[in-house]
Amino acid sequence: MATERVVADSGLELVTVAAPGRPRTGWWTTLRRFCRKKPLGAAGGALMLVMVGTALLADSLATYDPIATDAANTLAAPNSEHWLGSDHLGRDIYSRIVHGTRVSLIVGVLSTLFGSVLGGLIGLLSAYFGGRTDLISQRLLDILQGLPLLVLALVMSAALGPSLQNVIIAISIPIIPRAARVIRASVLSIREMQYVEAARALGLRHLRIAFRHVLPNTIGPFIVLTTAQLGSAILVEATLSFLGLGVPEPYPSWGRMLSVSAAEYAQKAPWLVLFPGIAISLAVFGSNLLGDALRDTLDPRLRGS
Amino acid sequence: MSRLRVAASLIVVGLVILATGAPAVSQAPKYGGVLNSMQREDLPQGFSIHETGTISTVWPSMPCFNNLVLFDPLKKLESMDTIVPELAEKWSWQDNYRNLVFFLRKNVKWHDGQPFTSKDVKDTFDMVREAKDAPAKLRINPRKDWFVNIDNIEAPDPHTVIFHLKRPQPSLLLMLASGYSPVYPAHVPAAEFRTRCVGTGPFKLKEWRRGEYVEYVKNPDYFIKGRPYLEGIRYVVIVERGTKYAALQAGRLDIAFPGESTKTVVEQVKAAQPKMVVSVVGQNVNDNLLLNVTKPPFNDAKLRRAISIAIDRRAYVRAVHQGGAVIGASMAPKPFGVWGLLDKDLTALPGYGKPADEKAKAKKLLAEAGFGPSNPLRVEMATRAIPIYVDFASFVINELKQVGVEATLKQVETAQWHPLATRKEYQMGANLTGIGADDPDANFYENYACGSPRNYTGYCDEQVMKMIDQQSQELDSKKRLEIVARIQKQLEEDAARPMMGWRLDYFAQWPHVKNLVPHHNLYNYGRMQEVWLDK
Repeated sequence: MATERVVADSGLELVTVAAPGRPRTGWWTTLRRFCRKKPLGAAGGALMLVMVGTALLADSLATYDPIATDAANTLAAPNSEHWLGSDHLGRDIYSRIVHGTRVSLIVGVLSTLFGSVLGGLIGLLSAYFGGRTDLISQRLLDILQGLPLLVLALVMSAALGPSLQNVIIAISIPIIPRAARVIRASVLSIREMQYVEAARALGLRHLRIAFRHVLPNTIGPFIVLTTAQLGSAILVEATLSFLGLGVPEPYPSWGRMLSVSAAEYAQKAPWLVLFPGIAISLAVFGSNLLGDALRDTLDPRLRGS
Repeated sequence: MSRLRVAASLIVVGLVILATGAPAVSQAPKYGGVLNSMQREDLPQGFSIHETGTISTVWPSMPCFNNLVLFDPLKKLESMDTIVPELAEKWSWQDNYRNLVFFLRKNVKWHDGQPFTSKDVKDTFDMVREAKDAPAKLRINPRKDWFVNIDNIEAPDPHTVIFHLKRPQPSLLLMLASGYSPVYPAHVPAAEFRTRCVGTGPFKLKEWRRGEYVEYVKNPDYFIKGRPYLEGIRYVVIVERGTKYAALQAGRLDIAFPGESTKTVVEQVKAAQPKMVVSVVGQNVNDNLLLNVTKPPFNDAKLRRAISIAIDRRAYVRAVHQGGAVIGASMAPKPFGVWGLLDKDLTALPGYGKPADEKAKAKKLLAEAGFGPSNPLRVEMATRAIPIYVDFASFVINELKQVGVEATLKQVETAQWHPLATRKEYQMGANLTGIGADDPDANFYENYACGSPRNYTGYCDEQVMKMIDQQSQELDSKKRLEIVARIQKQLEEDAARPMMGWRLDYFAQWPHVKNLVPHHNLYNYGRMQEVWLDK
């Protein structure tokens, strides 16, 4: 049975004793149980793993330089040399999709993490301190949340200009109010818990209570939030790239592969839009399946549903 | 001979004529109907042609105006021989091409009923050339350099105008025949053309609903009796490419927009509507690489040359334009232009040889300038955030990568692009240049002359300037052609503005549209005076 000693500012010593629970299970057992109970979630997780693997090994997996043009092979249909065909400049679509995974994943993960962490902190402090802090921060977040994710990302991206870091910033800012709302709701109930009352009664400092006793208990909603936002972030990145506001050419991004030039040739060479479209759909589908399964697993109210 | 034999002979003769291509029987033009034209975007400068540099303004504004002279609307190739009178009934060169006298038509009225006089002509071109005593000033003046050789304009009587030149310049007439050179009314402030139009042209503006359409009605007082044939014209603004060609295919539009139809798009339209008439013409628009010679690294001629020869022009035309362009130096190549270099001359220029050999030469030049695998030349390439520009830039970046130059792309909005290029705030740029008339003066003075605002690269060579002035006043056309060829070679050798290719237009129109002949130049066939509908 594990015990922990904490000395409060008042000098009092608090001894916490962990209650006896279920025996700890290994991660492999947990994973197998998750796969058995949530097969769709597991499929989503597998898709995300494939995506991560592709992004990491893009240089080895690609058969051509993704920006190399080839005037002799423009709009080539899928064949043994160009597995998924080539585009109007003769660039290999398979290699561009493989390298495009990096952009989608980097933008998706970093913007979601950045937005969720910043939003989570705002939500935590806003709910914990309450009063004016809560009122002001929530009204500011109301303004931000009044604009749809895509519209806000578009405005930000147009203002900042097209580049990788600007796309990450543009997508993460609209995530902030959503993350803040989720974490705030969670903290509002946690801060009324007896162990938080006890910590307060012992005279622990507010920041210590917030980060040591409240924050760890919001990790469930936080994981659900990030996985749920990941799909949206990938989709928004594709949309911004489609509109020419994403990662600049000639470096490949799935959204840009679907943009105006591809639309012009789509009738003649449908593989130009088909394969990047499938890649975007699989990535969003995968992250949504995983997010749903994690929500069901981590939310006690939905557990077993 | 029996009747049967006569009939049989007539049938045979008839069939032979049909089979060998019978002379076209000219149909009598019909009056009436409204022509629906594609309009690719809203009019950026309204109807103010003198303030614009884009066909988006010129095309829907031309029916409102007239020039002194114009290129014959029914002839594809434009030259001195195809110039026809408009507001000038006739003209005469005097004093060995130093004075150009125009005799104006009488009884011409502006759309508001005011009479047209020589004062209108004088005030218009004094304004464009920014004469000291000009009655008005343009907010933007892209073609001031076209008229830099005019010393003064005299209007001795209401129907005569004399352009006094500083030195002989026969091609002034060509520039006055461009769609970019309409005559404005002296009694209407130039700024008003940004929102309304008062001209002498065959059509009067009825309504401009921003972002939706521009509507014209026939001018009943037009000075050419029996013209125009159409009752009106409607320019429908459709920005999205798929939608505008669907509208053309469905018959909602009668004609495409000049320069808008690429080879691939038109192949798809033609497959869906085999009746559609497609004319392949030059646009007099070229894709060119801007290398800023006023700043490092491209103030080094060796590096400019290395960049120029590293790019395979033929591959560019095949990849970026799917074959819908042709290679050429700084003047439009034959048969789309008069002044283009011959193939043998072109092949000898840097960048037009065997790609592997040219790339090896480029690497050598880069090494001589101190750049190599351990110390690659790193440059930023700027261009407009429009697919045709981005494709151009993407191709060039890959070509440069093959010789060890690392280029990154910076996309800028259209509104920022021209100010950025004019202020020379870039290292390298992917650019498109349209030239209002297929004439060396119109091109060289605007794009290569020292100090011209449209000389985006800042290239300035004393010897080349001398040759430009020399060709401008050369009266012997053969000699002029030789000088122009020398200038073109020199410009390519110096990588002043390396040419990638000259765009072709696949202009599509329904067969019921008659007398609309696309020219080898986007800017000069939008008057619509002769167009009629066979419906």
